[in-house]
Formats: sequence, structure tokens, C-alpha cells
Amino acid sequence: MASTVIGAGITIDGEITSDEDVVVQGTVRGKLTARDGVTVEPGAVVEADVSGGPLTVAGSITGNITSTDRVDLQPGAKVIGNVKAARITISDGAQFKGNVDMDV
Amino acid sequence: MAQTRSSARSGSSGAGEARIGAGARVRGRIAGDGALTVEGHVEGDVALRGELTVAEGGEIHADTIEAEALVVSGVVEGELRVSGVVRAMAGSRVRGNVTGGASLALDDGAQFAGRIDAEFDLPAELLESSGGSPGRRR
Amino acid sequence: MNGDVATIGRGTVVRGRITGAANLEILGRVEGEVEVDGDVVLDARGLAAASLSGRRVTIRGAVRGDLVATESIVLEDGARVVGDVRAPRVAIATGALVRGYVQTGDAPAASSTARARPAASAATPRAANVSATASAPRTPPRAAPAPVPSPAARPAPSAPARPVATAIAGSHAAPSSNGSQASQPSQTERTPPRAPSAHAPVHAPAAAPKGPPPPVMPALKKGAKGAMSKKRA
Repeated sequence: MASTVIGAGITIDGEITSDEDVVVQGTVRGKLTARDGVTVEPGAVVEADVSGGPLTVAGSITGNITSTDRVDLQPGAKVIGNVKAARITISDGAQFKGNVDMDV
Repeated sequence: MAQTRSSARSGSSGAGEARIGAGARVRGRIAGDGALTVEGHVEGDVALRGELTVAEGGEIHADTIEAEALVVSGVVEGELRVSGVVRAMAGSRVRGNVTGGASLALDDGAQFAGRIDAEFDLPAELLESSGGSPGRRR
Repeated sequence: MNGDVATIGRGTVVRGRITGAANLEILGRVEGEVEVDGDVVLDARGLAAASLSGRRVTIRGAVRGDLVATESIVLEDGARVVGDVRAPRVAIATGALVRGYVQTGDAPAASSTARARPAASAATPRAANVSATASAPRTPPRAAPAPVPSPAARPAPSAPARPVATAIAGSHAAPSSNGSQASQPSQTERTPPRAPSAHAPVHAPAAAPKGPPPPVMPALKKGAKGAMSKKRA
């Protein structure tokens, strides 16, 4: 399926809005809103509020996270911000600092 | 080297094919109804009703060049008042604004500098000022 | 870089600035600025209300913004561009529509000689200082594109992309222009495409650009007075 991939060497300063999947390998500063899944890969740096469907985080997010589905913090993930989602998984090895709101 | 001063008129019939040979230098205005091929040097305005071809090695330096179409393999300088297509082939050097509504085609290797104002509309999404909601289109 | 391709998918809109050492493929929509080290490809259905800058830029869709490349720009059949197009090599297919200023790396020198004379006389007093200051820092970037004075450069001023803004700002503030000039060669790859056009200091004054002049050059032109008093500081 068509998806958006912000490659490792790319930096986006601004807003990303998508009605499809977004994969971040590079750097995003600003705001990220996706209708489908968002994947923040290892090495990726996201300094933005992120909202989308299922979120898989293995990189770094500094910002508030809102998901209509589940948020999955994988080992190596580093999240500083509040998470609002129906389900959340924080793997061993993931770092997280913020509030979790599962009231959907 | 033939030197021609003042105006020169090319053939008036539509089928007439006029040529300024490689060894010729024209200083002055050239006007005509047909097509013209320039292989030599022209310094002066050109006003043609037909197609103007500047062959490799040919040069036109003018204030204004008027033609139905322009195909350049040589050197052209001047305001290009062309109604059809301005085509710059590889190796050509073209300098001048393209007025008259022509479209521009540049081959890789052509050198070009000038403004072109083709008449067309961008898609609606690009006409709106930025800041519009992205969801609008969907 | 090399392998890195970033894709802005068809259903994605990015508003802001995209930079990086990677190639960029735009299938969706971009508003703002794109300045990457790699290649930029705008899909036939892609939309850009942005300046696009890269090594090789290929446009198949619609752009409202300037296009600058360090190597080449190709406008394919179906492309629609409103904005300036500048690169050492530019190819425009029949069927591509452009509205703006188009400039390839080099341009016929004939008129430059013609203009050089009136320009030279006006410029001479400052040309000495200006070129002296300018030549050293400026030579390295110019080396690649032929330093042949491109008179075409003069009309060029109309649409420099934002990155040039610093240079332009510097040029307007005449006294500081020399200082900013020194830093310009180190600026992004955008400089080289403009460089040849901007290069000949002699022509600079004659150019009397209507809009913001290209980097480096404008600093010379506008800053010429400043340069003179600065005495090639």
C-alpha cells in the first residue's frame, strides 16, 4: 500500500498530515497526524505531537501521543509525553515518561 | 563574406524557404512571410510569419525576434515574440524573454536564460493559499 | 545519503520545511520548502506549493514555487510549473508548461560583452575593490560552472529561493555585504547554480536587478558602495 516514509537522512520541520501509513526513520519536528498507522523506527527522532491509528515506536518521541488504536513502545523506544490510547504496551527496555490516559 | 545592410525581405509565398548562408552577415531588419533558416550572422530584428530556424553555427542578435515558431541550434538573443513553440536544441544558446504565448521546449544541453509566460492554470489545490485544510480534497 | 529515499505518499500533506541528505519522492502534497542533497521527484499527481531544491529535480506534476538544482532540472510532459527554474542543465519536454524565469548554467556571452562596457565604466571604481574581495572567496564554487559572465543572470534576480534570503538581506545592508559574501560560498548547493550568473562583478551594476539579486552578486552590486568604503575588508 502506498505509504509515506520519512527516510533516515530527512528532516521535516512542520506538519505532516496523512490519510495513510507513515513511517518515520528521520527527524520530524512539529506535528504528525495520520489516519492509519504510525511507525517511528529506531534512530528516528520525533519532536512533535503524534496522532494516528496504531502507533509503533522504536525511536524517540517527545510530544503527546494520541491513538485511536494501540500504542506499542518497543525496546529502545524513548517517549516523553502523554499518551492517550485505548491500549498501550511498554516493552522491557523502552523508556517512557508521561501520563497514560486509556479512557477512550 | 556577404555584408547586407538595411532591410532584407524573404520570399513572400508561404512555401518560400529563405536562407541566410553560413558565410553571410546581415546587419539590419529581416522581415518575411515564409520560413527562414539562418546559418550565418544576423544583427537586427527579425519579423517572420513562418518558422525561424537558427542552425548550428547560426547567430541572431536582435532586440526583437518575431516568428510563428523558433527552433534554435545556434545562438539567439533578443525578445522572442513567438506564437508557437520555442525549441532550443542541445548545444544552442538562447537568451531572451519568450513573449507571444509560445511554449518552451529545452533539450538537455541547451543553454537558456529568459522568462516564459505560458498560459495555463495550476490545479485548484495550488491556487488556494497555503494553510488550507489537507482533508479538503479527500 | 544515496540509498535513503523519503516518500511523501499520495495521501500525505507536509507543511513546513523538508531538508536532509536523501532523495525525496513526492506523491502527495508539499507546502513550504524542500531543500535536500539528493534527487527530488515530483510525481505526476504530486503537488508542491513550495520551492524545491536538490541535486537533480524531476517534475511530472504541478509546482507553484522555484526550482533549483545543483545538477539538472527536468520538466517532463505534463509538468506544470509556476516559478523560476535554475540549474546547470535544464530540460523541458514539449508538453511541459512553465511560467517564470528559466536559466541554465551558462548563457550566450555576446550580450554580456555589450553590456559589460557601460557596466564596466560604472562599475570600475568599485569593481576593483569588489572583485578583489570577491574573487578569492568566490572562485572555488564558481570553478565548476563556467564563470562566463551570464548576462542572463541579470534578469535572474527576480526569484531567488528563500535560502538566498540571507544573502539578499546582506546585500541590502551594504556595509555588511562583504561579510555575508564570504559566508555565501559555504552556503547550500543552491549557490553554484546562481554563481555563474552572479559571477561577473563587472556586469553586476549594469544588471540593476529589479528584484532581489542572486547571492554573492547582489552583495557585490548593492554592496559595491559599501565595499568601496570598506576597502575590501
